Amino acid sequence: MEYAIRTENLVKKYGKDFTALDGVSLQIKKGEVVGYVGPNGAGKTTTIKILTGLIKPSSGHAYVNGIDVTANPRKALRTIGALIEVPGVYDYLTPREMLTYFGRVYRMSGDEIDRRIKETLELVRLSEWEHKKIGTFSTGMQRRLIIAKAILHRPDNLILDEPVLGLDPQGIRDVRELIRQFRNEGMTVFLSSHLLREVAEVCNTVIFLNKGKVVSSDSMEGIGRSLELGVVDVKFLKSLSQEEIEKLRAIELVRSVDVKDATARLHYDGKPESSVQILRRLVSSNFEVVSYGMEGAGLEDYYVSVMSDEKGAN
Amino acid sequence: MEIRRESIWNDVFETYLSVNFELVKHLKRRRLPIVAALAVIVPLIFYVKVPDTADVFAATVLSFVNILIVVSAAMFAGDAVCGEFEKKTSLLLFPTPQRRSTIFAGKYIAALLATFLVVLLYYLTMTLQTAQLYGWGEIPAELGKSFLTALIYSAAAVSVVYFFSALLKRPITSTIVGFLFLMMILQVVAMVLMLVDQEPWFIVTYSANLITDVLGVSSSLPFGPEEEEHAWALKFSPDFGVGIAVMVAYAIVGFVTGMAIAVRKED
Repeated sequence: MEYAIRTENLVKKYGKDFTALDGVSLQIKKGEVVGYVGPNGAGKTTTIKILTGLIKPSSGHAYVNGIDVTANPRKALRTIGALIEVPGVYDYLTPREMLTYFGRVYRMSGDEIDRRIKETLELVRLSEWEHKKIGTFSTGMQRRLIIAKAILHRPDNLILDEPVLGLDPQGIRDVRELIRQFRNEGMTVFLSSHLLREVAEVCNTVIFLNKGKVVSSDSMEGIGRSLELGVVDVKFLKSLSQEEIEKLRAIELVRSVDVKDATARLHYDGKPESSVQILRRLVSSNFEVVSYGMEGAGLEDYYVSVMSDEKGAN
Repeated sequence: MEIRRESIWNDVFETYLSVNFELVKHLKRRRLPIVAALAVIVPLIFYVKVPDTADVFAATVLSFVNILIVVSAAMFAGDAVCGEFEKKTSLLLFPTPQRRSTIFAGKYIAALLATFLVVLLYYLTMTLQTAQLYGWGEIPAELGKSFLTALIYSAAAVSVVYFFSALLKRPITSTIVGFLFLMMILQVVAMVLMLVDQEPWFIVTYSANLITDVLGVSSSLPFGPEEEEHAWALKFSPDFGVGIAVMVAYAIVGFVTGMAIAVRKED
């Protein structure tokens, strides 16, 4: 099977002491929207820089549409659109001037460049700014322009590294909406972020990276299922007293309890019958239960559990 | 064979694109119009005191072309490499299907072309002035040779600044270091060598004296009442062949080492 993006045992070392990537292997299918998450310094940007030909791996291979990025960067990079970190812009140019240059780099014809500039600027809502100096743009507008540059040549794969970094809520919403559109158009999107909400809202699959290693990888459904298996959120009529919290902790099937005001998150073995038992115990112990379910459990919990497992392993 | 030909064609086309883009940037940043305006305005200053002969007028006006070349090289090549890294525009430019070497070669050629244009404008203005003051028949016969020498020195100056742009991190530093290296450091070294009776034949700024020397009026010769005190400078005048070879060597070594550093530079 030909993957849109694939890496084989990527290793990147800086000097003798620091290993930024330690054998990262990824397999991303065509049309997938994949979140690449991990704490700062996990190696996300290093992976992306290798995938986009900015740096070379110390060992291992990175392929885009089956083409080795290091061996044949010209061919591989033709199929990629990228937004990496917070790139600078040419303040003194207009979007048309900048995009025209990049259109030529991608060997687009003059007519095609004209048409795509109009289309992409319309998509990122910058049509009226086509002939204005980029230096006068807000941060959000500049970011949208860079996304327009990334998709100008209709790439199969879009690689986004922290695309909402430094944006205001409106800017974040705009970028999120654009990613949804790309997903609907069937584009493969590889989204690196440490903002889990962004990832949860737009991605089908999430890869977790920590200290240069992939620590977990699953579909959003899979993550949801595993969360449902081990966590239950209980909402009570009123805030719990210390005595009541101790009573919760004393329930034998409950492994741990996180309490905030009138809500408690109970961690257990994930078996459905255990969940039923816990609910029975709550009712029989005269807890005033308003709701009992998994609504609150999300990617953040999964992230914390995956990263803390890793910490423990280390 | 076919693949190799395609690869060469790709390299040429990408370099052409990069040259084009850089020249647009020099225009839009108003650097090219400003330096070009200087090239036209500076010769006009010499109307203040007009010498008796066309040769001396040409040599006097051309004694300033060295400064203009260094200013131009610093303006167009100073941020050619490190500017992309410092401003992080490298993150826009590099993840595209073009080789880094073609991008940086294009930047070098654009800086060279911009400097050539400035030198051409300076010589054109000076030629028109000479013709207006002394008549077309009085234009020095060796002016073409001087112009070609100025172009070769331009290549050397651009290469030196380009090398610093690749070596250093900040555009402001590379621009200043490049400028001072050509305007001060090399000049001081040449002066010290001459004071101890050594010809500084390997110093490119000394070779640049050929620009006026070929007209028969040496720029090594200081003008003014202190002429006697500077007799040490009169002893030496660059040999044409050696001087041109030195300039070409600086141009090649500066460009090649600058490119080698630039393509290996990482964010």
